[in-house]
Amino acid sequence: MVIMAADRQAVSLGLGPGMKLADARARVPDLLAFDHQPLADADLLSRLAEACERYTPMVAVEPPYALILDITGAAHLHGNEERLAQDAEDRLDAAGYSSQWALAGTADAALALARHGLKEGAEAQLPVAALAMDEKTHQSLERAGLYKIGDLAERPRANLAARFGMELTVRLDRILGLEDRPIDPLRRIGNVVTERRFAEPLTHIDAALACLSELFAEASERLNEREQGARMIRMMLFRCDGDVARLGLETGAPTRDAALFKRLLRERIEALNDELNPGFGYDLIRLSIVASDVLAPQQLRLEGGEDRQGDEVALVSQLSTRLGRDRVQKFAPADSHIPEQGLLALPALNAPPPVPWQRLSPDNPPMRPLHMFDPPQRVQVIAEVPDGPPYRFTWRRKSHQVIRYEGPERIASEWWQRKDGQQPGKGGLTRDYYRVEDARGRRYWLFRHGLYGEEKANPDWYVHGLFA
Amino acid sequence: MNNIDSDSDGAFGLPPDTPYAVPPATPAKPSVLRARLARILATSGVRTAEDDGTPSHFSFGVDRIDTALRGNAGVDGLPRAALHELHAASKDDRTSTAAMALLMAQRCQILGQDGRPILWISESGEARRQGRLYPPGLAELGIDPDSIIHVDAPDSIAALRAAADGVRSSAMAAVIIELAGKKPKGLDLTATRRLSLSAQKSGVLSLVLRSGSDADNPLPTAAFSRWSVAAAPSLALEANAPGHSAFDITLLRHRSGLYGLSARLEWNRDEEIFREQQRAPDTGAVPALAAVRADHPGTRAA
Repeated sequence: MVIMAADRQAVSLGLGPGMKLADARARVPDLLAFDHQPLADADLLSRLAEACERYTPMVAVEPPYALILDITGAAHLHGNEERLAQDAEDRLDAAGYSSQWALAGTADAALALARHGLKEGAEAQLPVAALAMDEKTHQSLERAGLYKIGDLAERPRANLAARFGMELTVRLDRILGLEDRPIDPLRRIGNVVTERRFAEPLTHIDAALACLSELFAEASERLNEREQGARMIRMMLFRCDGDVARLGLETGAPTRDAALFKRLLRERIEALNDELNPGFGYDLIRLSIVASDVLAPQQLRLEGGEDRQGDEVALVSQLSTRLGRDRVQKFAPADSHIPEQGLLALPALNAPPPVPWQRLSPDNPPMRPLHMFDPPQRVQVIAEVPDGPPYRFTWRRKSHQVIRYEGPERIASEWWQRKDGQQPGKGGLTRDYYRVEDARGRRYWLFRHGLYGEEKANPDWYVHGLFA
Repeated sequence: MNNIDSDSDGAFGLPPDTPYAVPPATPAKPSVLRARLARILATSGVRTAEDDGTPSHFSFGVDRIDTALRGNAGVDGLPRAALHELHAASKDDRTSTAAMALLMAQRCQILGQDGRPILWISESGEARRQGRLYPPGLAELGIDPDSIIHVDAPDSIAALRAAADGVRSSAMAAVIIELAGKKPKGLDLTATRRLSLSAQKSGVLSLVLRSGSDADNPLPTAAFSRWSVAAAPSLALEANAPGHSAFDITLLRHRSGLYGLSARLEWNRDEEIFREQQRAPDTGAVPALAAVRADHPGTRAA
């Protein structure tokens, strides 16, 4: 077993990553060792990253043990950059984490400095290991007498690139701040972000909700200037002990309606599995509009008409918020002739524009059932072989005498979807559908699964739907 | 089973200075009486005419039924802004009941002409066991599947809550809620009264479908009318193919005291209208005939 990570005290005793556990135990017999849990580490790191969103929305996770905060334009809120970093260190310290930080013009420079315990401007003193190339490259650099980044910086790039590859010069430039790489922040920054900070944390949930409503009003004012409306709203409630509660809302159409927002927020909170717990209070509440759409300023009819379209959207949004977006659906046709695959049930919140359904020939009775079973239900059928209509069938332990029937309507399987489907016998089973009516006037949609003798020795029968 | 008689409140609640409250000296003309009746009905929530000009009542399209349903309101058909209940005569008639409700909503929707959608609410467990709405089948009945908003409620209480929201907002043409079982949780006089009042206010047709209900001992509800629906044998087409959808409907209760009205209706998709089935279908199997009638006792007092 090998040591993956060591705390400060262990490092001071000369232990460190890469060392065998047995060797370390030999040196320090009362060593405390824990199993390495990479997933738990990653989870912890991402939670720390979330907590760091109080400083800037641009927080990126740099596995395995680093966070990058782009504090451009955010530092003045804490006085200056140093004080911001110090605040972060203090908070991490209070939570029981030891940390090292560095400020630099580029993300890679800051990472290298922090890893080697140096401060801003000391890039030249970094060892060549800060390039994070492979071990062999580091050794050859040192063999060439190049121990520090500063040594490399003076060399002509072309020679270095010829000897060690382009990768090295790129990394060198990044550490020296000559080139920047974009970071991948945890969350995309919202279109419109509004927030409130509180000197005295809010301990009442109602106050927090009132604050959210105010923030939404502010945000919608700004959306109004752009002629846009919110589609997706994200809210974050930062508790002073570092916990972050997040809430998301989606609306069926762009909106700037504060009353609707309040209603949806109430629904959302009622639907939460574990209630919002303010604990010692929220000291920062943020609301961001992460998705918006064009919404021109509207005027209702002068004499005070009603906004019917808006009412429908509001109702759909409200129901989707309460029950979950997948439970409120609209139907759309799908491109398949297999009956159960011929439709899509899409969330009504963002349903596509309606597509016309298949035209029907006039004066025909319904050819498709009103209720469908998915999966189809097995029935016992007495029918003529090989391809006669059903004569009598037993479904749910009741026997039904067929007095009228129409069929078969033959629906082949989608053989092109299957592996080797073009070869005989591998294309799937053909269905023969019958519309039947029993003596009591109930109409059923039955099918024989497989052609008798050709595809199956003894095909099964199923009831697939019920007609009105 | 008592009718919720807010009618009487309306009559006595008139301010004393209105001419109607004082008996006129001369014998009242029929027109005056009719106006007075309309006034009383207006306060009881039975609307005779809508403000926006769309008819307040929808009809089946079968004269015998529509005129019989005239009741106190003096208008043919059933009121749109009200709660109606449809019971499946037996568990196997759930599909026919659903179709009847959708078609009633369709009859209602074509009056409005403004393409408002229909909110369909069902319990997800029941839909999984007993089959879900199949949009191509809706289209085959002449209902545009695009006009359906389908809500899959986790239980009957959530379903009733969604229905209450749907009825309250005037964005829907109709709200249909499907509940299974003898005594669905949450369905009581209060809940239905609430639906019924919201429907009167918003003008949204609201329909409660029940399958597996106890026909002899129905739950007390505030519905305007209660119907029993069963599948009926269709008139065979060529080569003895099953014909157009046919229904046996029976009026179990109506606020005007009507009951026992029953008919065998056939849906005509092309004209979007119901027709009474003209001749008795030849059901072929002779012993089956008795079974049909025995299963749906024609009249049942509410």
